[in-house]
Amino acid sequence: MILKKLPTGVQDILPRECRALASVREKLTRAFESRGYDPVLSAAVEYYDTYAGIRNALPQERMFKFTDQDGKLLVLRPDATLSISRIAATKLTEPEARLYYFLDKWDAQSAGGVRTREIFQAGIERLGEEGAFSDAQTIAFAIDCMHEAGLADCILDIGHVGFMKGLLEECGLTDAQAEEVRASLNAKDGLNAERLLRGSGAKEETLAAVRALPTLFGGKEVFAAARALTKNARALDAVAHLEEVRRILADMGYEDSICFDLGTGKSLSYYSGIVFSGLVREVGAPVLSGGRYDGLADDFGRHIPAVGFAIGLKRVLVALERQRNLPAQPVCDAAIACEEGCEGAAERLSKQFVSEGRRVTLAAQYGRDALAGMNAKEKWYVSKRGAERI
Amino acid sequence: MINFALPKGRLAEKSAQLLAQCGVDTAVLSEDTRKLVLESADGKYGFFLVKPADVPVYVESGVADLGIVGKDTLIEEGRDLYEMLDLKMGECRLSIAGYPARRDVLTNPHLRVATKYVNTARRVFADREEIEIIPLHGSIELAPVTGLADVIFDVVQTGSTLRANGLVVLEDVYTGITARLVANKVCLKTKAAELLPLIAKLREAVS
Repeated sequence: MILKKLPTGVQDILPRECRALASVREKLTRAFESRGYDPVLSAAVEYYDTYAGIRNALPQERMFKFTDQDGKLLVLRPDATLSISRIAATKLTEPEARLYYFLDKWDAQSAGGVRTREIFQAGIERLGEEGAFSDAQTIAFAIDCMHEAGLADCILDIGHVGFMKGLLEECGLTDAQAEEVRASLNAKDGLNAERLLRGSGAKEETLAAVRALPTLFGGKEVFAAARALTKNARALDAVAHLEEVRRILADMGYEDSICFDLGTGKSLSYYSGIVFSGLVREVGAPVLSGGRYDGLADDFGRHIPAVGFAIGLKRVLVALERQRNLPAQPVCDAAIACEEGCEGAAERLSKQFVSEGRRVTLAAQYGRDALAGMNAKEKWYVSKRGAERI
Repeated sequence: MINFALPKGRLAEKSAQLLAQCGVDTAVLSEDTRKLVLESADGKYGFFLVKPADVPVYVESGVADLGIVGKDTLIEEGRDLYEMLDLKMGECRLSIAGYPARRDVLTNPHLRVATKYVNTARRVFADREEIEIIPLHGSIELAPVTGLADVIFDVVQTGSTLRANGLVVLEDVYTGITARLVANKVCLKTKAAELLPLIAKLREAVS
């Protein structure tokens, strides 16, 4: 019995859902192409050492691993951005590239609810560019893409990892301590962050800032509140950068679709600047996630400032279903059946309809009865007397 | 509508009181009913009454916008959600307890730990002695008494159950374990206009 079942956290995609997925892919492809992005695909299987040996190593328990014929450890693509960063650093020669992809990534641990272990993603990466204008364009395009995918009432929640890193930079935390503080603050658990920092002898001013950090979300009013909390140059630079991004986005007409959260500290350590999540009310987890990762490609041998985002296609489908915006199932325009000996004429009629841009099915059984069970706008029967519409 | 996931059991009554104090119509919560989904008369609030350990699941998934749950459960479940407020109720500690005369069992290279906080115990002991976890669902104190385990890892409120069974706290691992208001990460932003005023009232009520 177990042979017929799937392991935890992976799913088959049946025709109805697959069609919805294809429809979203088609719309996103159009959006990506129309703004000058080029497609790319990375190999599904890579060396484990590629991702274990870099500074921003992925936790090994999250990777699907197996061994190659020579005993080397392999992984199933654990992250699209890492793969594309590797490609950009090792195989692309242009100083700049704008790429898009449809890839699945694998997370051995993620399971339950809208979290699956095989994660279908659509995404873009803008390689070789820096600055607030680049960040703002990326965020604006992220909002456009969510709309293009058919989602209504999207919000983009924007933060900057530099603010939290700046606040914590004078505390002398070890990497493990810093990670625990980040995780606490990312969960808005200021109490635990304060406890950890007090233990490491942080200054009272830092503690006060950390206490306030979980409340620093909302509209542009958070910038003044953030500025009042700290004199740290890195943190203040982050606030100034966010303000500039907000100004540009407002000028582009996106002000109503964005909000800010300075307490954001994403779990992927490669983010170096602005970070953002795309939210819709109907799904309890972000449908889009992205940010700037300027130092990531350094590990692969080339410095490439970059920013990008990925859309979780499964979550988009869940949202579309709950918003009742799933694309309709197409009905065949014509169903054709024929009598024995008229196969060629029936096939020629099918081709004629197809050339007119119609969707056609040709029955595999002979006789008029074959048409009875078929769902189509028109039904045609081909006999030795010719083709007739029924 | 704001949907709450509320814990059945020791925090239930206090949670309802606190919400009522902040203007939430909780009358429906005091009705004697076996219904698990309740709605306030004004239609503004929905309540799901669930086991405490399930509150983070409902909130993480976004089925509930807000939830009330003990910090012990949050540590154990490790869900991706926001902790908005310390509600300062039901204070307790997460401690290692056992027989006073057998404190040396803590240096036993293969310590048997009875607990219902399996994930937390694994993390706590990760860089300490090797342990064997004995997962239990209640009456944890019985484990060392009967020799099933060397020590227990559990919440301690007054310590009276420990004392009655001849056990003492050997080490407090987490103190200040209290009930927390948690929020779904997406709902907090997409329903900010509804949720933030209520959270502000709750913050005022507990401070």
